[in-house]
Amino acid sequence: MNWNWFYRMGSPKWFFYTTSRWLPWLGVLTSCLLVTGLVWGMAFAPEDAKQGNSFRIIYLHVPASLLALAGYFLMATAGAIGLIWRMKLSFMVMKCAAPLGAVLTFLALFTGAIWGKPTWGSYWVWDARVTSMLILLFLYLGVLALQYAFQSPEVGNKASAILALVGTVNIPIIYKSVDWWFTLHQPSTIKFTEAPSMHPDMFQPLLVMILGFYCFYALALFMSVRVEILHRERKTAWVRDLVSQEAKEREGVNS
Amino acid sequence: MILQFDSLNQFMTMDGHGVYVWSALIVSGLFLAGLVINPLLRQRDVMLEIARDQDREKQREASKREKN
Repeated sequence: MNWNWFYRMGSPKWFFYTTSRWLPWLGVLTSCLLVTGLVWGMAFAPEDAKQGNSFRIIYLHVPASLLALAGYFLMATAGAIGLIWRMKLSFMVMKCAAPLGAVLTFLALFTGAIWGKPTWGSYWVWDARVTSMLILLFLYLGVLALQYAFQSPEVGNKASAILALVGTVNIPIIYKSVDWWFTLHQPSTIKFTEAPSMHPDMFQPLLVMILGFYCFYALALFMSVRVEILHRERKTAWVRDLVSQEAKEREGVNS
Repeated sequence: MILQFDSLNQFMTMDGHGVYVWSALIVSGLFLAGLVINPLLRQRDVMLEIARDQDREKQREASKREKN
């Protein structure tokens, strides 16, 4: 098997130039999906028979939670690849995925709390789903903190990759928590094996929002990895060329 | 697809649930915007820092040449 693509993907320079071409398209796609999904979900989706209009929070809550979980998988996988193949870029992805995931997990908990008030009568409940999501937030923060807990960034990378891998055990627990325990949290709306337990008129905008959040995640992750690359590779010839070229362009505009 | 609300006022209040829905939306929007703006600002800072280092290097080399 030809592994060239794998090694090329590990090259920060290749990543930087490829994402340079993708970013504008990804930005347009993300904004279109999020605006469409929000207008559709907020104004056109029918109101829920039991929960009324408060159910519209689902269009933020479910995509944020999904990406918080998917982002954790991505972070742990990047950490594993970094540990096994000692790939610099992979550790950079892991490092940038941690704050991104922490914000998404926070948003999932926050929108869930707001949704809980009119639905459950309380902002916070120590329910299995909510508690395991809170643990996910602490795992993200732990990975983030371990990065900076050591003198050498290499040791920090390895330590946080190991924490990320160990924490993966929490992901299936979160996913199955609504089935394993009797919880206040409603069962999943979207299932891998069955049709969604939601009317298509409500489900279609949710699907658009989920796609939008996936694109947004890629966009935010790429942007943050690119900064990391510029910072770490600042002594290399290609970054120096890039910077002096941009400086020249800026002077050209100013004069 | 039918518009679910008769007036803007009804859309904003959402039968008493508007406060919850809109606050969730505003807070999410702010955080998501932050996740995009933050790397943009950092990228600008890093580029400026590298450019400054390069300028300083050039000056150092120029003064070295003068001394010789």
